[in-house]
Amino acid sequence: MFANYLTVALRTLIKHKLYSAITVVGLALGLAAAILIGLFVRNELTYDHNFTDADRIAQIFVTASLPGRAPEDSVSLPMPAGPALKQAFPEVEEMARLASQTSTIKRDDALFTETVAVADPTLFRLFDWTFLRGDRATALDDPASVVLTRKVATKYFGDADPIGKTLLVDGRSLNVTGVMPDLPANTQFAFALLVPMDSPANQLPSWLREHWGGLVTLTFVKLARGASPSVVDAGMPAFGAAIPPLKTSTGEIRFGDILRFFPVPLTQSHLHPARNGQVVGISPLEITIFSAVAVLVLAIACINFMNLATARASLRAREVALRKVVGASRGQIMGQFLGESVLLTALALILAVAVVEIALPSFATFLGKPSLAFDYLSDVRVLAALGGLVLIVGGVGGLYPAVFLSAFQPGPILKGGPAGTGGGRLRVALVVMQFAISIGLMVATGVVYGQLSYAQGRALGFDKENLVVVTDLYGAEMRQKAETMRDTLRQDPRIASVAMAESYPGSATENNTGIHRPGMTDDQALVVRQDAVDDSYFATLGIRFLAGRPFDPQHLTDAVPVEDPAAPDRPRHGAIILNQSAVKRLGFASPEAALGQPLVLPVRTGPGVQVTVVGVVEDFHQASVHAAVSPGIFLLSPDRFSQLLIKVKPGDMPGALDLIDRTWRQMVPDQPIPRVFLDAQLQGIYERETKTGHLFAAFSGLALVIASLGLFGLAAFTAERRTKEIGLRKVLGAGVTDIVRLLVWQFSKPVLVANLIAWPVAWYAMRHWLDGFADRIALNPLLFLAAGFSALLVAWATVGLHAARVAATRPIVALRYE
Amino acid sequence: MLKLVDLTKVYRTEEVETTALNQVNIHIKQGEFVAIMGPSGCGKSSLLNIVGMLDNPSSGQYWFGDEEVAGYGERRLADIRKKNIGFIFQSFNLIDELTVFENVELALLYHDIPSRERKERVKEALAKVNIAHRESHLPQQLSGGQQQRVAIARAVVSRPRMLLADEPTGNLDSANGEEVMNMLTELNGEGTTIVMVTHSMPHAQYARRIINLFDGQVVAENLRAA
Ligand SMILES: Nc1ncnc2c1ncn2[C@@H]1O[C@H](COP(=O)(O)OP(=O)(O)O)[C@@H](O)[C@H]1O
Ligand SMILES: [Mg+2]
Repeated sequence: MFANYLTVALRTLIKHKLYSAITVVGLALGLAAAILIGLFVRNELTYDHNFTDADRIAQIFVTASLPGRAPEDSVSLPMPAGPALKQAFPEVEEMARLASQTSTIKRDDALFTETVAVADPTLFRLFDWTFLRGDRATALDDPASVVLTRKVATKYFGDADPIGKTLLVDGRSLNVTGVMPDLPANTQFAFALLVPMDSPANQLPSWLREHWGGLVTLTFVKLARGASPSVVDAGMPAFGAAIPPLKTSTGEIRFGDILRFFPVPLTQSHLHPARNGQVVGISPLEITIFSAVAVLVLAIACINFMNLATARASLRAREVALRKVVGASRGQIMGQFLGESVLLTALALILAVAVVEIALPSFATFLGKPSLAFDYLSDVRVLAALGGLVLIVGGVGGLYPAVFLSAFQPGPILKGGPAGTGGGRLRVALVVMQFAISIGLMVATGVVYGQLSYAQGRALGFDKENLVVVTDLYGAEMRQKAETMRDTLRQDPRIASVAMAESYPGSATENNTGIHRPGMTDDQALVVRQDAVDDSYFATLGIRFLAGRPFDPQHLTDAVPVEDPAAPDRPRHGAIILNQSAVKRLGFASPEAALGQPLVLPVRTGPGVQVTVVGVVEDFHQASVHAAVSPGIFLLSPDRFSQLLIKVKPGDMPGALDLIDRTWRQMVPDQPIPRVFLDAQLQGIYERETKTGHLFAAFSGLALVIASLGLFGLAAFTAERRTKEIGLRKVLGAGVTDIVRLLVWQFSKPVLVANLIAWPVAWYAMRHWLDGFADRIALNPLLFLAAGFSALLVAWATVGLHAARVAATRPIVALRYE
Repeated sequence: MLKLVDLTKVYRTEEVETTALNQVNIHIKQGEFVAIMGPSGCGKSSLLNIVGMLDNPSSGQYWFGDEEVAGYGERRLADIRKKNIGFIFQSFNLIDELTVFENVELALLYHDIPSRERKERVKEALAKVNIAHRESHLPQQLSGGQQQRVAIARAVVSRPRMLLADEPTGNLDSANGEEVMNMLTELNGEGTTIVMVTHSMPHAQYARRIINLFDGQVVAENLRAA
């Protein structure tokens, strides 16, 4: 019996090649897309699940509420927080902190930069990576120890056992004490080497260790067995209140009012909403969106199957009738057709697995998760999931055709009556749905891209082109060299301008201060972002002045003098430049009104810095465009400069880079030049959106391809079924164009109706997505029209082919055997 | 009106070559009523299809008026066909999804006729074949005789100069057959050239001339006294 079903199923497949190919290829593409998205989503959902005590580990987050600013969540905590938590909560069994830095590693004469984690030695008591070499328990005990990941071990030591060997990290000689496996795709940790907190290579300034005002380390706690994170959470307000206050000139900062710590279970940390807007995280919204896209693409493929199967039902009618005559029950016939669709899906799955194998490496690289694996051979769960997918897709796709076909009455069919190709209306509805999905995805793609280019373009408020930044020039000695470098570069005709500053737009660092108008107290101060910049900073970035002037080195009063530790009470004066938001928030009527006005910057001790407004610049995005521009001030404080911004004249970028690199080597021969392109750097910030955009484009394109495959099959079938009618029309005088128009119109209607469904849904969804951006594009109706028209074009192209073929045949072919 | 000279039609399939028409010479004048008779498979339909420009001959000449159309492509044939020729089939060939009215109107849709005039002419044609009261029915709801009358209305509504009928009475009982023949005679009386294939001797008697085909060749032509 089963053998007979199988024979019939396979023969049907072979006999109707076009139909089989369309169904299998469509399903395979849909399945491949679903598997890829599934791998991605699984990866996101299983971050850091594999540690033995994962369910007892919590990561501590903090919400920082600075006066005058919206509360902001952070995973970086003040350094003293970890030890204090361990002391305060008996539930905390172990605690470990980890900070990342970029270090230079020297091997022979070559220099490399690597991401180095600086961590408490207790880290391995929370996270039990299986060491390949060395002893995990003692690996970080010695300050001069370093643990390598496998790839780094091979890079620097080849196949030799690196244990006991030394590695030169930032000029310090460290002993290799352990080799751990490379980090998987689904972990929040990202480092190549690991050194202890008290390592000589630790770059963190020592004052940060006791300072509650910096957000520096990731902090993890392991709770005692049975202890609930909610108990810890409940104790956090008291914990905050116990933090020693920081004395300032006019009062004290109570950190308990600003910082609210809260524990998040390790397994939920990666997708925690508090990570929103960060480059590293991916939001639950996007996970949901991509899961939905996978389901939609699969749905389109299933619909193809249903449509083609029912459309061609008449071809199987005889077989059904005969089986019924010889005694088959309706259930048996349904079983047969369901079995066929599952078989077809299984075939498609084999093809899909091949497609995934081919696509996975580039997909993984694209997502920035090169270790993403499709382990269907080794992981039973993956295999089970694939099996389940086949049953569900095969079942869903096959159910309607099975019900439909098994309902045929044998009598009339065997007498030669028509079997009918009913279900026509449902088929049209399904085609409408397919195209609605495709059009919706196209609109989404367009909006995502539009928002992206908007965000990356003029919305920034500054000119990112041809800008090279030499970063992280900390310390007096480095600053000196940077100044020399700046002066050398300014001489060269290839360089347009050079500026020095504390930060550059898009860099992660942010420094805040209070500011108020004279006569107010410090707790009435507005918290603003402050940046130390030089006289050519705004010109270099092409930022416009709304009033006043840039800093001027000739004006001796512009620069803010450094605080003199011997005489902290000595009054300090200087000039200040405000951005437009700061002008508004400080209550000035206009940029001009702010000019010449005095302001006060409170400091820890003493009367604060007295500054005078000399200029107002247009708002520009210093952080991500996800956030609105915050009020910002700019000071001429050369002691805080650490970034060199170089604007290169268009034309000879390679020559200019060569010049910059050579100048650097003369100054700092023992370190690779830490330079970045500003536009590339900014791209990194929008990487998530860019990738979302590309993924959307890929999957919506795929959806359209699968949908048009189905339309192609349906059109082929319709053209066949309407041959007689078309022949007749031709006999009555219809020309080729009349016929093509007739068929094309028949298939245009569902696409047009699909627009009516897709537009409002896409409009609503994209409105919601755009709400996540402070600065956003308006939804352009043209985009909706364009998406609809593209779908129509695709439909025309697929159907037109058949129509032209049918229309060109002699009518007699159609009528002969009537 | 039309002249066939040494007209031959050969069908080639993978295995066999069938000569459906072999060196046929026929001359039909404007206003004639010609019946074509012969056993099944002798090439009657093939002949009618070529005369109706639904198919091309394999060799020989086909003069339609003073145009030699044997080698014409589908586009040009379609154009001549549209302006000059109406068809009636044995199996009616009405479109099931369209009403009686729409089926007839179909023949005018491709003729650039304003909608108002089109509607009038359809009504006129339907009245002529006595089926106007069923204009909004679907073909399935009519008897065979009624369906053939609709088909005739459809064939004449575009006012063709020539009407081709392939066994128009083949699927009808004798009463309905008579009625169809009377209509054709009436149309012929109004000037329409009629070429009809039939198996029925009595129905052939309505024609002025009978051409007998056998094995693809003309074996006899009888002119019936008027
Ligand atoms: N498309 C075709 N392909 C091959 N042979 C054909 C085709 N059409 C008709 N024939 C053959 O040509 C001969 C004449 O057919 P036809 O003109 O239909 O005859 P009639 O209408 O007189 O019964 C027959 O032998 C028939 O089998
Ligand atoms: Mg015939």
